[in-house]
Amino acid sequence: MKCVKRVKIKNDLGIHTRPATAIVKLLQNFRAKVAFTYKKDTINARSIMGILMLAAQKNCFITITAEGEDAKEVVQALASAFEKKFGETP
Amino acid sequence: MYLVEDFYKNYEQELGLRIIAGQLGLNRVIRKPEAQRPGLSLSGYIPHFVKNRVMVIGRTEMGYLRDMEKDLRKMRLKNILSNQTPAVIIGKGHRPVRELTAICKDMEIPLFLSHTSATELMAKLTFVLEEKFSPSVMMHGTLVEVFGIGVLIQGESSIGKSEAALGLIERGHRLISDDVVKVYKKESAYLVGYGPDLTRHLMEIRGIGIINVAHLYGAVCVRPDKALDIVVKLEKWDDCHFYDRVGLEEKFCDILGISIPFNVLPVKPGRDVMLLIETIALNHRLKHMGYHSAKEFNAKLLQAISKRQPRASIHEMRQES
Repeated sequence: MKCVKRVKIKNDLGIHTRPATAIVKLLQNFRAKVAFTYKKDTINARSIMGILMLAAQKNCFITITAEGEDAKEVVQALASAFEKKFGETP
Repeated sequence: MYLVEDFYKNYEQELGLRIIAGQLGLNRVIRKPEAQRPGLSLSGYIPHFVKNRVMVIGRTEMGYLRDMEKDLRKMRLKNILSNQTPAVIIGKGHRPVRELTAICKDMEIPLFLSHTSATELMAKLTFVLEEKFSPSVMMHGTLVEVFGIGVLIQGESSIGKSEAALGLIERGHRLISDDVVKVYKKESAYLVGYGPDLTRHLMEIRGIGIINVAHLYGAVCVRPDKALDIVVKLEKWDDCHFYDRVGLEEKFCDILGISIPFNVLPVKPGRDVMLLIETIALNHRLKHMGYHSAKEFNAKLLQAISKRQPRASIHEMRQES
């Protein structure tokens, strides 16, 4: 199963080390293959270095592509993490 | 999108570029990986003239323009310069004719002086633009140089790519990029991999965190880019899977339309991955030098068998093989 969703980055500092760690940690509970696409670059979302390399800024969009049995759940979980600004206080 | 501004920034030093008009047009986009000398089109023949190439003007063109009447010169220049012209570069030792500067200023076409001769400019521009426009892909894996061979280590997360690379670095091999490798096709013949600027020479090791290899092990252990020669895929050992035992058949994988030798390397406790990767790299070198261990052995074996058999059956065997 394949699931694609475009999410907006809402936290002020963009995707820095802490959110990247949160994403990778979140993905540990899932088995699907997850990729992030940001400005033409596509990376494996399980790779911290990959996420950091994107240097994604606030208010930009990331396309999440998940493939696997739990693709839908993984995309939902990620979308809500993005929405909650990864627990960062504004 | 490749802007003239980026081009100017990247090659200002190398080509000795200096902008003299049309600064406002620096946000023009270079759409074709080609440069051209206007040559014949200055004489008024423009049916096959391609408008969106970077234009290089040298001695011949400048001399021809100077010999023209003022009005004609203006008209001919207007013929070939348009909104699509990304930039005009003048070769070493020439000054632009007044009309050229005026038109460039008017139409906001960046006009550069260069300290490189026009012929050399053409060669260099073709080279750098071709490189910039070549197809590229982002790959998940770690690129290391082992005995001069560019090895891309792939495999699922947490299989031990970074650990293998760290072990190789410790043995004196070099890291190009960990985890994320940008690969592009060069001269449409071979692949080159490099690390993104931001995470260059950084590594993430589970339990340690992010380390800077260049600082930890010194400049000798890293390099900026490297041709990609082989791909090694690390896999969890699967007892049901039959792994290559002889090495007679070579596998290839396709990256950007180029086939690259591909090895699957099962990982299990007690297997020294670093040593195995070193061996794969050395074996690849040996093959390149014309010696294929498995094939050579097979030929020897066939010869040995044929000596022991009566003549009739040799014939049969040859037919079979």
